[in-house]
Amino acid sequence: MHAPADQLPVGLAACDCLTPFGDAPATAAALLAGRSALALAPVLGRDGGDLVPLALFGPMDETIPPRGLPVLHRLAAGIPPAAWGSARCPVVVTSSNFGVGSLYAFTRDHDARHLAHGAPFASVELLRREFGWGGHVQVFSHACVTAHLGLAHAARLLHAGLADRVLVFSFDFVSAFVAGGFHSLKILNGAMPAPYAVRPTGSIGLGEGAAFAVLTRLNGPPKPRFRLAAHALHNEMFHFTGNQPDGAGFAVCTAAIAAATGGRRVWLKGHGTGTLEGGRLEAEALARQFPGAPLTGWKGGLGHTLGSCGLVELAVTLAALGAPGGKIPGTVGSTGPTCTDTVALAAFDAAGFDGAILTSNAFGGAHAAMLLTHE
Amino acid sequence: MTADLTLRLQTLICTTLKLEDVRPADIPGDEPLIGSTRLGLDSLDALELVLAIEKEFGVKIGSSEESRQALTSVDTLVAFLRSRQVAA
Repeated sequence: MHAPADQLPVGLAACDCLTPFGDAPATAAALLAGRSALALAPVLGRDGGDLVPLALFGPMDETIPPRGLPVLHRLAAGIPPAAWGSARCPVVVTSSNFGVGSLYAFTRDHDARHLAHGAPFASVELLRREFGWGGHVQVFSHACVTAHLGLAHAARLLHAGLADRVLVFSFDFVSAFVAGGFHSLKILNGAMPAPYAVRPTGSIGLGEGAAFAVLTRLNGPPKPRFRLAAHALHNEMFHFTGNQPDGAGFAVCTAAIAAATGGRRVWLKGHGTGTLEGGRLEAEALARQFPGAPLTGWKGGLGHTLGSCGLVELAVTLAALGAPGGKIPGTVGSTGPTCTDTVALAAFDAAGFDGAILTSNAFGGAHAAMLLTHE
Repeated sequence: MTADLTLRLQTLICTTLKLEDVRPADIPGDEPLIGSTRLGLDSLDALELVLAIEKEFGVKIGSSEESRQALTSVDTLVAFLRSRQVAA
């Protein structure tokens, strides 16, 4: 017996992201044009190493103050004003990296100033001070489903009457520590990612990204155009780095979110990092649960923005839906054959759909899916 | 030469993964390394082993698929290293 999806619909009052392409509209436009922000760069930054695909805001080497801070200031400038961090307007911060690049820089350079923002809560405290947030800031981290957990938690806060509005804020910057880790696993190698493609060798790219969303209750005007209607979360707990070979973990999560769609016609934005087995298991589970629904993935263009990918890709989704023409980017970086015939290699028209399923998966066998509905 | 390389790999496996109850020569060349109930290695052990092999023999394993193929058994590891022209 598995838990059903949380059906706690909330409105999306605002949402944006920053990637190396720019804000969400610029990012969606770049993906629609089939562009990739990934470029081959040394896996250890200034310390060299093999060339691997990375999508970075700038040089990977950590600075004082942290090199990501100007990016986050740019993003935060677009957050609608509110008493963020107050009891009724809490902030949920999500990241899978926080300031680990600063910790790595400290171990290399022995400059204690890196420690001031290296640990997770210290890096969030820096943001709280910089952005003038109050003390009601909650922090989530669970590998690459992190942002989904933050969004699901925000919906629960709203439905429990514990908040009027919630700001979910997510960021992940690539460091030599993280890139080196994925490189040692041999999944971050010299090849560009081709999500859901059938090929001899899998590969991912790592990307940097930050995003925010303001979630509101639905009991009053104005009626939001976009809603997060449901969240499904599941952890198969099969192995640290491997999924159940039969895809049962993917199936549980996709079944739970499918049960919440209520007959809506949905398209699918998958996780699709570029690994072979993970991509195949995900695509097959989605195709079984949503026969004929087009599946797209954008990590071939953005790289894998790690714990923030769920919110970054949500912002891109909203920008694509909101742009004139309403075209959804296809699976950038991939060519056929693909592991299912539902994979959308080219952009497709959002007309005819009234919902989307957005998924993320993570180390440890964690799965997350959310239902986005739009009028 | 192959026997020397085989023993060197068997020894590396035992020392890297701290297999205290297994003598190097007791790992058959065709025994599956990953998923073997006797050896009990998992994918994190495989990661340690890959890094140890790269360091010991000065080779690069390029992808997770190549890693999985090479680490099928001691025999496939020997063949992999031979293909990279590693001498015992």
